Amino acid sequence: MKLVDQSSQQYRRLWWFASRGFAAVLLVLLVTSILTTPGGLQNLFNGLAIGGVYAIFALGYTLIFSILRIINFAHGAVFTLGAYFTYFLTGSAVGFNGLLANQQLPFGLPFPIAMIGGGILAGLCGILIERVAFRPLRNKGADPLLTLVSSLGVAVAIVNVIQLLVGAEIYSYPRNPFGELPAALNLGTFGGLSQRPVIIRTIQVIIFAVSMVIVVLLTYFINATKTGKALRAVAEDATTSSLLGIDTNRLILITFFLSGLIGGIAGTLVGLSVNVSGPYFGINFGLKGLAVIVLGGLGDIPGAVVGGLVIGVAEAFVPSAQVAYKDAIAFAVLFLVLLLRPQGLLGRAVVQKV
Amino acid sequence: MEGFLSTYGAAIVQMALAGVLALSLYLPLMAGQLSLASPGFYAVGGYVAALLSTQVFTGYPNGAYPIPLIALEMVVAGAISALFALIIGIPSLRLRGIYLALATIAFVEVLRVFALNQPWLGGAVGIYNIPQPFFSATRVEYLVLALPLLVGAALFVARLERSRIGRAFVALREDELAASAVGIRPTYYKVLAFTLGAILAGMAGALNAHILNTWNARQGTFDLAILILAYVLVGGSRTFLGPIIGGAFLVALPEIILREVAGTPGLNPAIAAFLRDGRLILFGVLIAVSVFFFPYGLITPNLFKRRRKPPVAPLEATKATPKVSRGEL
Repeated sequence: MKLVDQSSQQYRRLWWFASRGFAAVLLVLLVTSILTTPGGLQNLFNGLAIGGVYAIFALGYTLIFSILRIINFAHGAVFTLGAYFTYFLTGSAVGFNGLLANQQLPFGLPFPIAMIGGGILAGLCGILIERVAFRPLRNKGADPLLTLVSSLGVAVAIVNVIQLLVGAEIYSYPRNPFGELPAALNLGTFGGLSQRPVIIRTIQVIIFAVSMVIVVLLTYFINATKTGKALRAVAEDATTSSLLGIDTNRLILITFFLSGLIGGIAGTLVGLSVNVSGPYFGINFGLKGLAVIVLGGLGDIPGAVVGGLVIGVAEAFVPSAQVAYKDAIAFAVLFLVLLLRPQGLLGRAVVQKV
Repeated sequence: MEGFLSTYGAAIVQMALAGVLALSLYLPLMAGQLSLASPGFYAVGGYVAALLSTQVFTGYPNGAYPIPLIALEMVVAGAISALFALIIGIPSLRLRGIYLALATIAFVEVLRVFALNQPWLGGAVGIYNIPQPFFSATRVEYLVLALPLLVGAALFVARLERSRIGRAFVALREDELAASAVGIRPTYYKVLAFTLGAILAGMAGALNAHILNTWNARQGTFDLAILILAYVLVGGSRTFLGPIIGGAFLVALPEIILREVAGTPGLNPAIAAFLRDGRLILFGVLIAVSVFFFPYGLITPNLFKRRRKPPVAPLEATKATPKVSRGEL
């Protein structure tokens, strides 16, 4: 009796080649269409800028998911908090509504420092959320679904605290936060590759650059430092790693801090691009972040980055006549990917254990 | 009594509808499937009722809209929701746990954006001037329809729990592999649970379209999905009474804080103002706290079991082994 079913193995190999071939064909088609459609390169750059933010936002979910196997629904709220913290750290005043009306800090930090400060404060909020909503339930050994609901309760509370304190109005960051840079960059026809001149806003370049720096730093942290190694160990098997002397709770705190930190910076970056539009600012992003992490494979860091960029670019390529459907793109792509490749674009298939 | 009804009439009707929506999420959860698609079907049901009552049954421009027609619309809405559920459910129910939840969220969002951009669904404004059978401001009369819907749904689910199908659902929830080994077809029962839930959500939507008088794309959103999940988990997800109580409780809570607690005579005005403006903060905190203190929900099957010999030992035994069977979230 054969232990391995030959036919199914052959079938699998065939499927492997077919799917890789299909992906390659798609990629070639995509590249040619980007180069041939008018404004294709422009769309690509626009998409990469917003996709970078999607990517780092989704990284915040992914970090926590890879450790705890729980989606932190309060992440969108942390994202909002980060944007507001940066706003106040630059020394700007609160609007006319809310309990803190017309208050402002006695000092104003330069924007880049305020952004990092806002991120750190958001990271501290992440730690607070872990202590309040996650750890008590984890210590009780409760159903993960309940943790999801308690994180949701925290999200509702945070959003409404923001509303109570600073009101629901739109806040925008000070003009020219990075000094006297030109507002946009004209790349010309990009060496003849594009029929139309390609123009990139400086803010888009900054957003993309900051996101990629975060991605690189995070990858370095996880792959090359001792704490990162411990994080990976906990993600692989929390019980075994705690038996081997890794302080799981401390690592979970670090994870929440990192997740809040990059979530807060992501919030600031989006606020830079489109203003901070009130306490519910992060909620829409939260939903898209969910689409991104599933697209890339849950708990997979390169996957989250690729997923974010794919969704950003896909949205940028929506023709202007159908622009109203832009918000549905992420979810339509998500639905299709789930049906065709339930483990995500870069995820590996999980064998169902008995 | 008169004052009570005029203050809380609308809330009471919404409590009943929240119970129906919670049951619509509870049904797939009974079969172990975390589906957040209920708001999608709720939106579909509302649009069906709105279209039928403004475009098809147009004989009642200013008079009272007949109640039997609303009942008919609810049936049609349920049927159309069931159709949607079959189309969505058969491909997506092979996903498990969080993946299914996200796929159903994707369905809800795509549907919302679609509705937002269709002129025949009223676009962003939605469909308004949906005829009403009653002309009172409180709308408490809608209990005539909402209460039978809730009671009917509750009786149906209660019977279902004791039937062969209900036991198949529970078997799937506890162990899909073992259930399929004893001849329970997973796909069939999952799609069945999903579709039954969709019918309930569609009927609730149809009724609420009349109550609200207008229906637009803001009615079935991700926020509602999460709220319904909170109804089920705060109420208790192991017996049909849990979702109903949870829905009623969480709908009533902000209203009670707003009108009763904040209005207590002699209360410090600052605290009263906080209770009024910050009631949603309390709402969020209470959800988090109640999940901690009642991990199995407010209503558990143990409440109804007659305590036989030692009441302590079995309870402790169930507490010591937390079940992680509802998907790998």
